[in-house]
Amino acid sequence: MSDRTEVNLSGVKQSKGVWLVKVPKYLSQQWDKATEKGEVGKITIGKKQGKTEVCFSLSAELSALHSAVGEKDGALQVPREHPFTMHTVGGQTMAVFSQSSTDELSLEGMVVHRAECRPVVNDNYMKLKKLQLKESTKPQRLSQQLERAITTVFKPVANHDFNLEYEKKKKSEGKMVRAERQVVLDMLFSTFEKHQYYNIKDLVDITRQPVTYLKEIMREIGTYNSKGAHKSTWELKPEYRHYQSAEEEEETKAA
Amino acid sequence: MTSLGSSSSSATEYTVRVPKNTSKKYNIMAFNAGDRVNCSTWTQARMERDMSARRIYGEEETAEGAAGSEFGKKQREEARRKKFGIVTREFKVEEQPWILKVNGKAGKRFKGQKKGGVTENASYYIFTQCPDGAFEAFPVNGWYNFIPQAKHRTLTAEEAEEEWGRRNKVVNHFNIMLQKRLREQEHGEDDEDEAEKSGKKKKKGGGGGRGGDLRIHDLEDDLEMSSDDSDSSMGEDGGSKAKVKKNAAKGGAKKKKRKGNDNEALEDSDDGDYEGLEVDYMSDESSSDEEPEKGKPSKGEDHPKGIDEASESEEESEEEKQNDEEGKEEEEEEEGKKTPVQMEKKKKKDSSGESDISDDSDIEGDTPSALFMKSTPPKRGGGRGSAGSSRTGSRPGTPSIDSASTSNTLHAAASKLEQGKRQIPGPGTDSPAAKRLKMEPSSQSPVPSGKNTPQPPSGKSTPSSSDVQLTEEAVRRYLIRKPMTTKDLLKKFQTKRTGLSSEQTVNVLAQILKRLNPERKNVNDKMHFYLTE
Repeated sequence: MSDRTEVNLSGVKQSKGVWLVKVPKYLSQQWDKATEKGEVGKITIGKKQGKTEVCFSLSAELSALHSAVGEKDGALQVPREHPFTMHTVGGQTMAVFSQSSTDELSLEGMVVHRAECRPVVNDNYMKLKKLQLKESTKPQRLSQQLERAITTVFKPVANHDFNLEYEKKKKSEGKMVRAERQVVLDMLFSTFEKHQYYNIKDLVDITRQPVTYLKEIMREIGTYNSKGAHKSTWELKPEYRHYQSAEEEEETKAA
Repeated sequence: MTSLGSSSSSATEYTVRVPKNTSKKYNIMAFNAGDRVNCSTWTQARMERDMSARRIYGEEETAEGAAGSEFGKKQREEARRKKFGIVTREFKVEEQPWILKVNGKAGKRFKGQKKGGVTENASYYIFTQCPDGAFEAFPVNGWYNFIPQAKHRTLTAEEAEEEWGRRNKVVNHFNIMLQKRLREQEHGEDDEDEAEKSGKKKKKGGGGGRGGDLRIHDLEDDLEMSSDDSDSSMGEDGGSKAKVKKNAAKGGAKKKKRKGNDNEALEDSDDGDYEGLEVDYMSDESSSDEEPEKGKPSKGEDHPKGIDEASESEEESEEEKQNDEEGKEEEEEEEGKKTPVQMEKKKKKDSSGESDISDDSDIEGDTPSALFMKSTPPKRGGGRGSAGSSRTGSRPGTPSIDSASTSNTLHAAASKLEQGKRQIPGPGTDSPAAKRLKMEPSSQSPVPSGKNTPQPPSGKSTPSSSDVQLTEEAVRRYLIRKPMTTKDLLKKFQTKRTGLSSEQTVNVLAQILKRLNPERKNVNDKMHFYLTE
């Protein structure tokens, strides 16, 4: 954890200059398909009449575009030549920091140049763009017309499945039997230890007692909240409860 | 690498690799050029996610289990949310801003917020050159804009609005935050006075009403100010004059925008110097001056003071007065409101020194200097303005009367008010005594001078206005100057000003006349008295 916050400044100390290059999406997609070694192409840096020119050439194998459908490969090719347009980082100071899988932060270097990777515009490229456009304009959701009507649902049924289950359940569990008053009281006290407010339905569920009987007992030991934050819930009468306040609880927990 | 030679260009080729297996995620840390960040100067940096938003997301954790909780509350809440279609955004750690601390505790702090939409349409890659000459390209995972965080205290919205309202007046910008800091210090320190202070402050127009711009409760000031010393402080005036002047020269560097008083540029105050000093409130102009002087006047403050603030303000006003000898009228115009109060205060202090008050006020020469110890810029004037607006916080809401800078008419008005309320401790000689005529606490009945008529019940601590004391000397002066009837004489010693009832005035006047035995002359069928010296 010691490295958690400390930033490794070695990159910046060595004044490593990096380039920030904006690359089109299709190109980066092609790069993702690169081999293990990772070689994607070559960059040529030359000086032409005093101006620096940088050009990136995509390697041949990657320029073959395999579109999703798989039929059109070969016909369309990702452009190979990409001159870079270089800018200086005038208005901003940019640095690069990296976060490793272990959450280690390190400052990799400073950005010295910005560049945009543009393709050489030719027909091939235009076709590629057209294709991209078509794909992007397709709506995500599509209405399809069905040839045949669905017949499997919405049939009239004598008794729905859900209902059948319910009735079976009811039968198996049987009617709720009144247990001894003391037993019920014990059950109630133990449940109220867990939470302060309970709905009558939940209490019935927990105690498996008939509603009227349960209500009778609750009227004896508890009160009903009809208003307030905990509406329509039952809680124990003050004399029966001895909740510690939350703070005390925390203290005891911490202790 | 192959070198291609061509006629007018030379090019070198490098391979570009996009490593596949990087476990590192690269991000951009962008700074604004204006911040002039130089990463190479960083010796140490710490960065972590800003998790303060987690509280907001994890909110409303009601008591779970036992007290206060409900059975099945969570599920019900969730169901309710779904029903209403409330979609709560998850707290994603990845989206949280970074907090970058450079060079330890004393260094800079930055907050880096993620810039959205960077990777949507185009990908950014970082090209670094490897030792073997090839380029490696790493995709950029996220872009964070880092902004420096201010360490200094900023104003809240309310305070900012207040200051905005005062922007056209002469405002010492340095003071705004300093006052705020000092006031907070005070609040921590003076508990007993807190109520009063806060009360006063509020009366003076809210917490930010320093600088005495709002002098709403003159009465308060009068009554409360009544118990003060200035006698002792007066006594010190001579000594402190020099100090004050020096301080005035020293301080007040910050009073840049005094109206028309730009000559005090000679001051050179440091921020930190005055921070520890206790001030009730700081006026715009002279705060920095006032603070260092606080220590001095306090030496002479032995008198029981009803209120600490009162004493402080006393000191201040004294200081002010010293400085303000010349610059009386300067600030007056701007602060018409303040003047009455200030005049009163001044009166309290020294009840002297105003030209209009009495011709024979000797104090004028001395007292102004003595009294105007206020640290307002030495040149002139700052006094008044400073009195009004630049009260260094010692006395919230009590305008420190800048005695110096009151005009005649205003002074007269103030003095009337004062006299109506205050007792005249009866000094035999006006001016010097007048100086000492601070409002003495009613418990200490001012020592009545032999010449004065019995004082009004001491419950009233009225100001002593030396100016119009009904004394033999005064009468003599009048009679020497020109013949007057008894009526005229009575007019001169108005009951309001002398604090005596009309009967008493008559009696005293009669006694005096008997003693003086002036010559009589009949002019216009009226008996005039006159004296020839």
